[in-house]
Amino acid sequence: MMPSFDELVRAHAGDLYRFAYWLSRDRQLAEDIVQEALLRGWKALPRLKEPRAAKSWLFSIVRNEHLRLIARNGPQHDSIDADALEIADERANPFGLEMRDAIEALPVAYAEPLALQVLGGFSCAEIARMLEMSEGAVMTRLTRARQAMKRMVTPLDAKQQEGGRK
Amino acid sequence: MNCLDFRRALTTGEEETGAMRVHRLGCVFCADLFREQTAFDAALRSGLEVPVPADFAGRLVASLHAQDAVAAVQGTGRRRFLAAAAIGAGAFGIGTGLYAWFGRDDPMALACIEFVMKEETKSIMMGAMPRAEAAAALEASLPLARLDRIGKVMHVGPCPFQGATAYHVVLMVPQDKVTLLIMPDTRLTARARARSDGMYASVLPLRKGSVGVVGGSAAVVESVAGALRSGA
Repeated sequence: MMPSFDELVRAHAGDLYRFAYWLSRDRQLAEDIVQEALLRGWKALPRLKEPRAAKSWLFSIVRNEHLRLIARNGPQHDSIDADALEIADERANPFGLEMRDAIEALPVAYAEPLALQVLGGFSCAEIARMLEMSEGAVMTRLTRARQAMKRMVTPLDAKQQEGGRK
Repeated sequence: MNCLDFRRALTTGEEETGAMRVHRLGCVFCADLFREQTAFDAALRSGLEVPVPADFAGRLVASLHAQDAVAAVQGTGRRRFLAAAAIGAGAFGIGTGLYAWFGRDDPMALACIEFVMKEETKSIMMGAMPRAEAAAALEASLPLARLDRIGKVMHVGPCPFQGATAYHVVLMVPQDKVTLLIMPDTRLTARARARSDGMYASVLPLRKGSVGVVGGSAAVVESVAGALRSGA
């Protein structure tokens, strides 16, 4: 049975906001994106026939709303070329970055599938459909994003060793 | 599955499959790697979980319902327009007469309509004032108790309007939903009216400041304005 739109909103609003935040990197914009997206979703709900697809449908309309915003106003943040990821890793201070800062440093092209996987719980195949790319490309981006994150975030034991030497 | 396959699958962050589990249970190195990966995933999740604004879901639902009410009001307006068109020249004559009676669209009343069309949802999203605070803020201009006698107060919140702070009130009256913009710092000497985008606004002076009443039906707006003026 199809849940009501209120139920869908209440169940997914938090993760939709977080997803919009990692796309826009701006809290106010994230709120606006989710609100506009849900308004569109609410009007289009009768066209959603498959209750199991509701969650990925909501994430997709948030993504589309963000793309619409970029088309209207231009990029809201610096877009980094995918190849710049390696350079950014080398420059990063391995002891100073926390996890959130590390995600901030990821280009949206990498943060987007990562957020869909971790926040949305989607599989590579589902993410590939949502981003309209091949499953292999999604897997590559996820692997590179995770590797970059691991290089940027200080391992806990390294921090402890560092603290012990001081 | 061998160690290489296991590690490849692990790096994408996909959920563990049955084959991966079988391999992990038989390989101490991959089991260690899996533990590391699980801890990393938990940290990653906490990093991605930026704080969500307070009552975000509740405000979204309220905003969607407000849009629903506005759509209903606009829908009613459209049906009324079609009915009026069917009546024909007679109705046009009456409309022209009313327009002549009301005079030209007033800029302040038009600004009230524009607020409802463009800013109302955002204002609701910003959140409502606590009732006690709202009562204190409105006391000098339009006591909340008076609004309670007219209809059900659904929302009160401050909002920037025409270079000053106004109070945005959503009032549900038996016939419809109307929006009030209470402007404590704007003095009016006479009533002002406007019609635009299928909406109608009436602005009237208060003991302190003025109030704009906006809705889809001129009759409902005028009845609310009349009730406010008479202190009902």
